[in-house]
Amino acid sequence: MPGATKGSDNYRFGREMSPRLLGVVMNLPTLLTLALVLAYPIIYAGFLSFHRVALGDLRRGVYPYVGLSNYERILSDPLFLLALKNTLVFTAVTVSAEVVLAIAIALLLDQKDIWTSRVTRFLILLPYAVPPIANGLIWAFMYNFESGFLNRILFTFGIISHPINWAGHPSTAMLALTVPYIWRTLPFAILLLHAALAGINRELFEAAAVDGATAWQRFRHITLPLLMPVVVVLLVLRTSFAFTVFEEVLAITQGGPGDATWVAVWFSYKRSFAPPFDIGLGAASAWVLAIIVGVLAIAYVKTLYRRIT
Amino acid sequence: MNRPGAFARVLLHVANIAVIVFFLLPIAAALIGALQSEKSLQATTRALFPQEWSLDNFRVILSGGTQTGAIFEQATYLPANVKKIYNAIANSTIIAVSVTLLTLIFASLSAYTITRLKSRWMGWLMSVNVFARFVPIIVLMIPLYVMFRQLNLLNSIWGVIIALTGFLLPYGVIILVPYFATIPQELDDAARIDGCSRFMAFLRVTLPLSAPALASYGAIVFIIAWNDLLIPLILNNRSEFMTLPVVIASLVGDVHVFHNLMMAICLIAMAPSVLLVLLLRRFVVQGLSAGALKG
Repeated sequence: MPGATKGSDNYRFGREMSPRLLGVVMNLPTLLTLALVLAYPIIYAGFLSFHRVALGDLRRGVYPYVGLSNYERILSDPLFLLALKNTLVFTAVTVSAEVVLAIAIALLLDQKDIWTSRVTRFLILLPYAVPPIANGLIWAFMYNFESGFLNRILFTFGIISHPINWAGHPSTAMLALTVPYIWRTLPFAILLLHAALAGINRELFEAAAVDGATAWQRFRHITLPLLMPVVVVLLVLRTSFAFTVFEEVLAITQGGPGDATWVAVWFSYKRSFAPPFDIGLGAASAWVLAIIVGVLAIAYVKTLYRRIT
Repeated sequence: MNRPGAFARVLLHVANIAVIVFFLLPIAAALIGALQSEKSLQATTRALFPQEWSLDNFRVILSGGTQTGAIFEQATYLPANVKKIYNAIANSTIIAVSVTLLTLIFASLSAYTITRLKSRWMGWLMSVNVFARFVPIIVLMIPLYVMFRQLNLLNSIWGVIIALTGFLLPYGVIILVPYFATIPQELDDAARIDGCSRFMAFLRVTLPLSAPALASYGAIVFIIAWNDLLIPLILNNRSEFMTLPVVIASLVGDVHVFHNLMMAICLIAMAPSVLLVLLLRRFVVQGLSAGALKG
């Protein structure tokens, strides 16, 4: 046999690859995909952000170098700064509300002898499956001034006497965005905390109960400290994802009324893919967002996510 | 733990009912809206339930606008995008299924090398994947739009599949690695002593034992791919290439489309992913927590 000279390294499929080579070969699809769809586009977005890329430039395929002017323009644009501020407010409100609600609901789900908790457990993932744009449109329908269900419910219970324009009024529009977003993303938070609760040793509670600790004391001094690591993971994950909210804005307010609900991704999207089709400027604004989220991501990778070695 | 007293039990039931009502409220509103005519919706602006129920909204959408039904006699404006709903359903299905298969294959190959091959750059590869999960879609989509425009990949299903696969692949690696790590190395070693190469050990030992993790990740990817809006919205604007979320987005701000029709389309679009999540609940739960916590 011609290939048999190498001795015991022979397998049925010929000489086996070295682990190093096998590592490269098995990772080829992933590495190619990551390079093509993640690494290169991020760098290319940086390139575009230093160039003028309008419709005419796209057609010609030539993008004149403009230096930092795209960044200067967004950082001096009150609308971009407002969008950043709105994004921060939106993130702060949704994330803090979610953490509090998720802890409460996870504790509720943990009550094994309450049968309604089982119903809640069954339904908890439902919002996760709803397409964000459908979620937005459904809530837009709920908020509708003339025939929306929110006003109908409030009328039915006699809480209001005149309809409220939830999504159309500057003072309630931001709130009108946060509730649907919380509705859609809360399941993930509940799920993580519920999984963490299930991992807590029950004997700790029994010992504390024997020592006369009240339910609140048990929560405050046993449950909460043990949940803290998961809460921190949740804070980082939810914060970085809330920064990129888009679908609910598109469906419910389209940035309005006025500019009241412009957020970061909406700004990048509108500048790039709606008149004035300024893709260079859009890329610059998307880069600013990516840097903010990137800092959070580095913190997550470095401190929270224990690496496999 | 001591059992809650009678009063506490009542409070816990009330809390559960509040949570259930909150989670079902939008779905109920969409159903009530979709199951009546625009006329009945406008007849009273304060009642919760319609005077008469009707399936005509679903009938008109699912017949592509040919069967208008009794309630659409006066006004039958149906946008062209909605008339091609079967096109959108087909596009969404092809895209979600292809992305799920591609990412499952790519991610399991990588996850195996990360857990089994003791190379230094595997730790680095894992960090890259964790980091990549945070990249906002918008910062990818602006350059991808320019790139795909040059490559003639705009208005095609392929462009969306490529972009979504790249975007979701890191998440797959993150979910599969902790699971692969729980499979004893000894099983691999035993297969190798029996004459399997490392790659055959992966195919015959690791993959079959990872079926639950593959199901978890597959379900999650399918749902995210099915629901995704931004990628197909930016890459495809011709109605024959639209996915369901893009069709829904195209109705936003169209004042001529009845709310009832919109709600019916939303319910049709969410049906597959909702069904999947309820059927594979256990797997989705495992995958979501593995993707965030395990390591």
